[in-house]
Amino acid sequence: MPYKALDQFIVLDLSNRLSGSFCAKTLGLYGCEVIKVEPVTGDLTRKWSSDPNSSGSGDSPLFHHINAGKKSVTLDLNSPEGRDILDILIQKSNILIETFQPGEMESWGFPYKSISRTNPGLIMTSVTPYGQTGPHKEFDYTELTVFAMSGAMHREGLPDRYPIRYGAEVAQYYSGNLAAAATVSALLRLLRKGKGDWLDISIQECMAGHPHQIGRRAPFIYSGELDLREQPRLSSSGTREPYAVGTFQCKDGYMSFLPLGARMWPNIARMIGREDLLSNPLFDDADKRTSNRLELEAIFQSWLNDRTRQEIFEAVQEAGVPGSPILRSDEVMQNKQFLERNYFTLVDHPQQGPIKLTGDPFRLSAVDEKPLKPAPLLGEHTDQVLKKMVGLDDNQLTSLREREIV
Amino acid sequence: MNLYPTDDLPLSGIRALELSEIWAGPYCGCLLSDMGAEVIKIESIQRIARGPINPPPDGMYPERDPGERPWDRQANFNSTNRNKKGLTLDLKTNLGAEAFKDLVKVSDIVFCNYARTVMEGFNLGYEEVKKINPDIIYMLMPGYGNTGPYKDYRSMGMAIDAITGHSYLRGYPDMDHTNNSLVHHPDAAAAVNATLALSTALVHRELTGEGQFIDMSQAESFMTHMGEMFVEYQISGAPRERRGNRHPAYAPQGAYKCEGEDNWIAISVTNDDQWFSFCEVIGKSLKKDPRFSTVANRLKNHDDLDAIITAWTVARDKYTVMYKLQNKGIPAGAVLNCGPDTYADPHLNDREFFQIVEHPEAGIFPMSGPVLRFESTHGIAIHNPSPTLGQHNNYILEEILGYSKEKINLMEEKEVIGIIPLPGADLGGSRRASEEQARQSNAKFNNDENV
Repeated sequence: MPYKALDQFIVLDLSNRLSGSFCAKTLGLYGCEVIKVEPVTGDLTRKWSSDPNSSGSGDSPLFHHINAGKKSVTLDLNSPEGRDILDILIQKSNILIETFQPGEMESWGFPYKSISRTNPGLIMTSVTPYGQTGPHKEFDYTELTVFAMSGAMHREGLPDRYPIRYGAEVAQYYSGNLAAAATVSALLRLLRKGKGDWLDISIQECMAGHPHQIGRRAPFIYSGELDLREQPRLSSSGTREPYAVGTFQCKDGYMSFLPLGARMWPNIARMIGREDLLSNPLFDDADKRTSNRLELEAIFQSWLNDRTRQEIFEAVQEAGVPGSPILRSDEVMQNKQFLERNYFTLVDHPQQGPIKLTGDPFRLSAVDEKPLKPAPLLGEHTDQVLKKMVGLDDNQLTSLREREIV
Repeated sequence: MNLYPTDDLPLSGIRALELSEIWAGPYCGCLLSDMGAEVIKIESIQRIARGPINPPPDGMYPERDPGERPWDRQANFNSTNRNKKGLTLDLKTNLGAEAFKDLVKVSDIVFCNYARTVMEGFNLGYEEVKKINPDIIYMLMPGYGNTGPYKDYRSMGMAIDAITGHSYLRGYPDMDHTNNSLVHHPDAAAAVNATLALSTALVHRELTGEGQFIDMSQAESFMTHMGEMFVEYQISGAPRERRGNRHPAYAPQGAYKCEGEDNWIAISVTNDDQWFSFCEVIGKSLKKDPRFSTVANRLKNHDDLDAIITAWTVARDKYTVMYKLQNKGIPAGAVLNCGPDTYADPHLNDREFFQIVEHPEAGIFPMSGPVLRFESTHGIAIHNPSPTLGQHNNYILEEILGYSKEKINLMEEKEVIGIIPLPGADLGGSRRASEEQARQSNAKFNNDENV
């Protein structure tokens, strides 16, 4: 039997927001059995459409992605019987992931203090926008508002325009991923010491503690200077080659460049077939290349204009210049590196049909890869899980179903 | 500042050898050490990634003063190497490689974010290291993974951002991509996945006794953070385009100008109930305006709505607006700047997010974190400052490896270890480095740009 790293652990996934749900999904990739508990009406993210063209039927792309491989159990937590069943599920799980407002678990009769008495080995992972304590702990949020509160947004964009967020739901994914790392580390302590734990993961803190945000705050803590939005193409921290920094148009799209350091200059000059510039007194040191940036930039740009992203990507690899094509999502899926590594994984969803999902974030050599399963249908595993874990029989399940508790 | 027994952290008793620089590898090391692992950062005096030895005047140092040992005062380095122990080793020498192998015997993890072939080049690849310690967990995390046509492609956060499809989504929808930002998130995503990978392998080893090799592609790990975009394309047939601050199903959503210079408030109205509450706050007449009666209409007339909202926010304090909206259950957040706003945030401070540390060379400053809070440790992380170059050479060689004073002196003499970088050791990052040296160093990369 193939053995996955986390095969023996059961994750009870009570989360109804992206970050916690992604955390649980990721644990499932490495072997955990993930049981997603949804309200009888279904997790809100089933309908949460990130696609303006979506017809509203079927599950959302987001739901497919962050719930792949999970089992779905429906349960009405507003009913006492539903909560009794949850109690048993909690006792039989190793990990509980939740994204409720601080205090909500407690209001249902499940504070960590009492959970840890009945299941001392349980690891409870709470992922919330602002954490379990503090004056803003009950703030509502979206990706945009919590990203704003992390400091990351103020620095993003152009100086004369509004601050802007990154391109994806990065704050929520990033913190969900951090939560997964902390949860698995807590598993190690559980195995060694038999002790469970409660993790308080705040999305705001994850992003404020992001290495780049720490870096952006350095000018302030070290010398009282505020790091502000700047024109990316004009920014030169003194370690770059300024005429080739940032994103440039080429024949069929855009290329990003970030050549670090003066030793890049000969590489770039050779790449664009202008070794003659190396001995040109206008450009023979970094300061001169900075002062004469526009002239060099024009030369560089004219080289780019005649070439496709693929041609340029090959040239930068040959020359040893950091540069990369900006790909669109459909192009990413066709990229030969990801194809060669079989990164995108085909699953067959009973309603959606075959879809390709992103694969494992890392590959373990000692562990067989488990075929990825699609996201579950609503309540697809209710009977299976409640029979096995709670010991309910068909009659009991029918009765619960009639009363819309499952 | 050890407030609780450090032998009861999740990764207490784990020792990791870190060979990495800039962001992705180093931040992974931070997270491991936050969780109690002893992380030994292996550097060398032959090649440093701690900024220039003779920095230009605008360098990022405390009070803009590089001091006598700039490599120990550099802001970026000191930001991303907290809690670690610092060792210098010239792995090209027999003495250096031998010390590394001795460390491998008493370590659990080796991780490296250099290009795929660097460790192999030192004859310290996984196959070699496994012979010394069969249970070792060994991770290489080049930009695109350890196999495939791009396996030896150099990469940085910027390249990963571009090739994974993230850069395509960034920036203002009404401008082209040439204004794209130079802040690149994928390094951090890789750091987090690397931490998860190593802890997963530790659990696997705890259960089976087996060590293993971990193949991590920074690009693949980051793409899991955008998975819905690929599904969306398959279902709708249309690749996702840029959205700026807007959302396909929430309206209004955006950053709105507030009172004062460069002050902004981020607001998201995610459903009709919130919209009605929002109207109560900013002007009841909006409720009856047919242009904004449904989400679809608000999306269609978003520009008009933005103008109305800005007229209301522009003369108001961002925090006042935030509390006013949050009190009505509407998601809102002040756009905190990277300086006073963040450090004064009452919430972060109430949670003691910033902790004051004293660095022997860089002085006293607030350090960020902890981001991983465990109830068992009262939610607080240990915070020791980043190591100075070779700061723990003696501790590691003498106390961990039991080397004699004579041997350590010999290593010092032969420049296998040291605390002062050799001339030219900063070539990788210095603008002031001799251009002649740069030319001699060959057009090909030094295999060191994998960050």
